[in-house]
Amino acid sequence: MSIDAIPIHVINPLPTEPGLTGNALPLLREISEMLRRLLETGESTAIDLSALPLTPIDLEWLREKLGEGEIAVTLQASGESTLNETACPGVWWITHRNENGAVTSQFIEVSFVPELVKAHPEDVKIGRDHLELLISDL
Amino acid sequence: MQGPLIDNLVRQGISRRTFLKYCATLASMMALPPTAGRAMAEAMAASRRPSVIWLPFQECTGCTESITRSHSPTIEGMIFDMISLDYQETLMAAAGFQAEEARHQAMKENMGKYLLIVDGSIPLGQDGAFSCTAGRSNLETLKEAAAGAAAIVAMGSCASFGGIPKANPNPTGAVSVSDIIKDKPIVNIPGCPPIPVVMTGVLAHYLTFGTLPELDDKGRPKSFYGETIHDRCYRRPFYDQGKFAKTFDDEGARNGWCLFELGCKGPVTHNACATTKWNGGTSWPVESGHGCLGCSEPDFWDAGGFYKALSMPADPLKFVAVAAVAGAAVGVGVSIANRAKKGSAKAAHETTTLADLEK
Repeated sequence: MSIDAIPIHVINPLPTEPGLTGNALPLLREISEMLRRLLETGESTAIDLSALPLTPIDLEWLREKLGEGEIAVTLQASGESTLNETACPGVWWITHRNENGAVTSQFIEVSFVPELVKAHPEDVKIGRDHLELLISDL
Repeated sequence: MQGPLIDNLVRQGISRRTFLKYCATLASMMALPPTAGRAMAEAMAASRRPSVIWLPFQECTGCTESITRSHSPTIEGMIFDMISLDYQETLMAAAGFQAEEARHQAMKENMGKYLLIVDGSIPLGQDGAFSCTAGRSNLETLKEAAAGAAAIVAMGSCASFGGIPKANPNPTGAVSVSDIIKDKPIVNIPGCPPIPVVMTGVLAHYLTFGTLPELDDKGRPKSFYGETIHDRCYRRPFYDQGKFAKTFDDEGARNGWCLFELGCKGPVTHNACATTKWNGGTSWPVESGHGCLGCSEPDFWDAGGFYKALSMPADPLKFVAVAAVAGAAVGVGVSIANRAKKGSAKAAHETTTLADLEK
């Protein structure tokens, strides 16, 4: 029996430019589904971009499609991290870099506010203690 | 220093967000759900540091080099903040009697609770005389240290599978840790050297969940070794499209096509290089244009040639014989042509070709 007898054929879509694998497109649908979940249940979700077989050109394509939003957050913590809202509110493009500027991990987080931006209650307590001390010294 | 980890970190000026960021990256590398970073950070921040004893045996110190050059200095410091590294010959200031004393003390105080890390294989030939520390064979030292360990981490391919010392003809009778120790949980972290973050990941898992990670049939953590290099390779789509580089400088190579035909062992190698990368996320072998050598698999050194495609039979003699029997004269022709080309290339100092590189 030849393989042609099987009525299902795999057709790999031809990439439109070198380096583009076609793996980024399904992510847009996944993000749309994640947004629906956020709206219905308030649940934050994330996609780990470094765990997927995406070429640098795929990532560029995805970034370009999602566009730039209004908010860009910069975090200085062992290297710079950027948490940028895309043109779709609630969809955040998060890039973590080390001190040498190399990307250590990259995520798309779907949430109203990225987890990392929120202050931890313990840190707020420390900040308040500091402030109290400051006031008592005045 | 015995308080919760986060207090130690804060004292050193490492903020909670820095730690969270680190945990997010670590979770990503451990193939945990992207949101697991926060849960990991909470658990690890509250954990206390376990005592760790690190024994180097028949090794090249490449594994230690790999770990100590992991990421940026701050992150590396963080790794050592998570554990109390009580004995490490290469890194410790103490020597001789004091060093041995430190090990004995750590073993006594943390009996049954310490983590034992081993890098290097253990030679059994000549009663273990090939590798000794403080007048004792590696075999003796391992057995003694393993007896009081909660678990053993075999760092690198030598400790995991015997590695290069075990390569044919194995002159020292080298064996792996799991060949000797049978009554302790052992985690194999193979690689030549292993990826630094895999080591950190196993430690982080131990601190977060209080257990060792789930292992595959070769004793490797599934979170890092669960998939092949090939499955996670960014060049995989080219394999699927049938686009292969045929030499190291042809058009395919320049376009970043699949390196399968140049001997890449990615399809049979379980490791995390494709996702974690090397040198702080800079690059990894396939990204730099060279196929995977398969260094995290047992006996990779004797697997028949780094530049032979997996689809080619490993033994060239057999290849010729089979081709002749089948009447495929092309096979023999190619083999002879390659040999001739190899000879003339060597004579004329021409650009190295694939044939030159074959073992």
